[in-house]
Amino acid sequence: MAHKWKAPENSKAILVDITKCIGCDACTVACKMWNDIEFKEIRRFHAEDREKIKLDAYHWTSISLHKVEKDGKIVWRYAKHQCLHCDIPACAVACFATALKKYPNGPVVFYPNLCVGCRYCMLACPFDKVKYEWYKTFPWIAKCHMCPTRIAEGKAPACMGVCPTNVMTLGDKDEILALARKTIENDDKYVKHIYGEKEVGGTAWLYISDVPFEKLGFRTDVPTKPMTYYSYGFQKYTKPAMVGWGMLLTALYLYTKRREKIAKEEKK
Amino acid sequence: MLGGLGTVGATAMLTGCQHFDKAIVGGEGWIPKQYQRSKYWPAQVRGRIPIHPESVSIDRNDEKCILCGQCIEACRGVQSVFKHYELPIVDDVICVDCGQCIMWCPTKSITEKSSINQVMEALEDPNKFVVVQTAPATRVALGEEFGLPPGTWVQGQQVAALKELGFDRVFDTSFGADLTIMEESKEFYKIVTGVYDRHLPLFTSCCPAWVKFCEYYYPDLVHHISSCGSPMQMVGATVKTYYAKLNNIDPEQIYTVAIMPCTAKKAEAKRLEMNASGRYWGNEEIRDADAVLTVRELAQMMKSAGIDVTALPEKDYDPILGKSSGGGLIFGATGGVMEACMRTAYYWFTKQDLPDEMLDFKPVRGLKGIKEASVEIPGVGTIRVAVVHGLGNTRVLLDAMRRGEKTGYHMIEVMACPGGCIGGGGQPRSALPPNDKLRQERIEKLYKKDALMKLRRSHKNPEIKALYENFYEKPGSKLAYKLLHPVYPEGRKPRTDNINITV
Repeated sequence: MAHKWKAPENSKAILVDITKCIGCDACTVACKMWNDIEFKEIRRFHAEDREKIKLDAYHWTSISLHKVEKDGKIVWRYAKHQCLHCDIPACAVACFATALKKYPNGPVVFYPNLCVGCRYCMLACPFDKVKYEWYKTFPWIAKCHMCPTRIAEGKAPACMGVCPTNVMTLGDKDEILALARKTIENDDKYVKHIYGEKEVGGTAWLYISDVPFEKLGFRTDVPTKPMTYYSYGFQKYTKPAMVGWGMLLTALYLYTKRREKIAKEEKK
Repeated sequence: MLGGLGTVGATAMLTGCQHFDKAIVGGEGWIPKQYQRSKYWPAQVRGRIPIHPESVSIDRNDEKCILCGQCIEACRGVQSVFKHYELPIVDDVICVDCGQCIMWCPTKSITEKSSINQVMEALEDPNKFVVVQTAPATRVALGEEFGLPPGTWVQGQQVAALKELGFDRVFDTSFGADLTIMEESKEFYKIVTGVYDRHLPLFTSCCPAWVKFCEYYYPDLVHHISSCGSPMQMVGATVKTYYAKLNNIDPEQIYTVAIMPCTAKKAEAKRLEMNASGRYWGNEEIRDADAVLTVRELAQMMKSAGIDVTALPEKDYDPILGKSSGGGLIFGATGGVMEACMRTAYYWFTKQDLPDEMLDFKPVRGLKGIKEASVEIPGVGTIRVAVVHGLGNTRVLLDAMRRGEKTGYHMIEVMACPGGCIGGGGQPRSALPPNDKLRQERIEKLYKKDALMKLRRSHKNPEIKALYENFYEKPGSKLAYKLLHPVYPEGRKPRTDNINITV
């Protein structure tokens, strides 16, 4: 089914090389510093708990530890999680208030002033990356916005800027994809798959790894077409239905009012 | 009536009920707020080193971290640990527990993992016989936590403070150092004379960070490390066997605490191999050292108990394991182990004491990264030794030896921290980052005290002599090997999993 959404042409993309991550969590702290997110709780983990680390409104990005079997040995791998910034973001499609916007240079940015708090974006996100400020009286959603002001200036996002082992590489999407392909082809240790290249039509964050992605907490059962491909058929009626419903009710109101007026006049 | 209520309300408001907010009932802790605004993003952010959340030695508070990268400076630049490994990582957060990152961290985000609570619990437990030992380097640094200039000698005050805190016995790790010298120099003597079929050089084993470093980066050299345990382990094992027997104390009731200038000792105490006394008694649960406190933690305990080190009388260590020689004392400084070892090794080789004018072994002293020296021992020839401090220097030396540039050493002393134990990761943070001036002041004090002592050779220590006569028979005896030389498994690994977490 056709849909009117188009992936931005040659946006920025970030390649995450999981094999280089040492789990120092500098990116988590940098994200909090740059985005002024509160340190509500100090997360201290046992190794087992770390496998279950999830994003929440306080953690727009986080690192989870996975003990994976590789060549008969248990190895540790750290995976960085944050919003993947889909080329055609399901959250932005679902948002009838247009509080989520995909920028032409990559980021999917949240506009709190427009948000009505319906949480459709949370349901729409195929990767479950949109979180909610459950603890607040007037909550908003919370997610990584890929530091759009930094991207616009040509700088790396806060998390990437502090990485001591250069896990992430920023660049134009076609160049980054070419780099990813070259890396996994030239090195046998890598799994021959670029996560985010085809998933839901492509994402701005791409991952390469030497262990299968499903063992690192990544969803691999998502379709390769954008989610809106499946939902546009009925979602396209949202706005007409909303406006139409309003118009219908207004018309009914005007009609009944006029009828009452006439009835009153007739009684006289 | 309404007017009265109104007055009461107004009074309550004016007198302070309006101020009843959380700021009064407790702050939120010290947070570098200036960096928690995006417009105040620090001028320089460089990331940080990984620290295992379950590390037994080092802890980090993310809230205070400003990502300044000073820990990287210490870990990668000074100690050559961080990023000196291949990626991807295998199954560990590579860390030698040296704690230099603590000394460099400007916001004190990185600290030691506190053991104060465990020690306090043991002190309050009437069934526990709590024994404490203090490392040589602590007595020239503890004063700094109480405003005294670096290098102030507070040995007696430290003992008094520990007794005031409620420790049943206060022993000296310098005594353990003397014991280590007896064992290590004997081992060295036996290797040189060919009794043991082992290759030279012999590396010292007192520094657990160095041992772990060797296990990580130079696993082929592990068998060159002396089989002796560290002074802390030796004192712990001796207390739980010899001292317990002598005084009829159930070894399971003894709780040994060590005051160390070091965070790696926390990890060493938790290593599976460090239960020689447990194996002696047939109860693997008994550990040689139950808890390790850094000098900073001791100062914290003293401050919360209202003890000021400057206002205390000087007290002596408790007998039997409390007397030490100058040789044991200078363990705290780089080159000290080598100097003390040569004083005693000379005796083993020649059956005569080292002449007094040769006691000061100047070439191994000082803060030069890699120090080389040689000793003429009559009848044996020239013994060539090297002394390195700082793991970065160690890597330089070992790589040079690999390339065949520096060879022919008989013995090499390695201390992981710059300056030796006096610059350890558990010392007061008196200079940030730590500098050579501070290290020099602490070192000079140790050497001055050694020069003033009558007893400077470890094998002359009367308590050491008595210990061998009454218990261990002679250095290198079967019992000494059982208790003072930890048994490492084949293919030993510095794995974090290897640490038995009993917290």
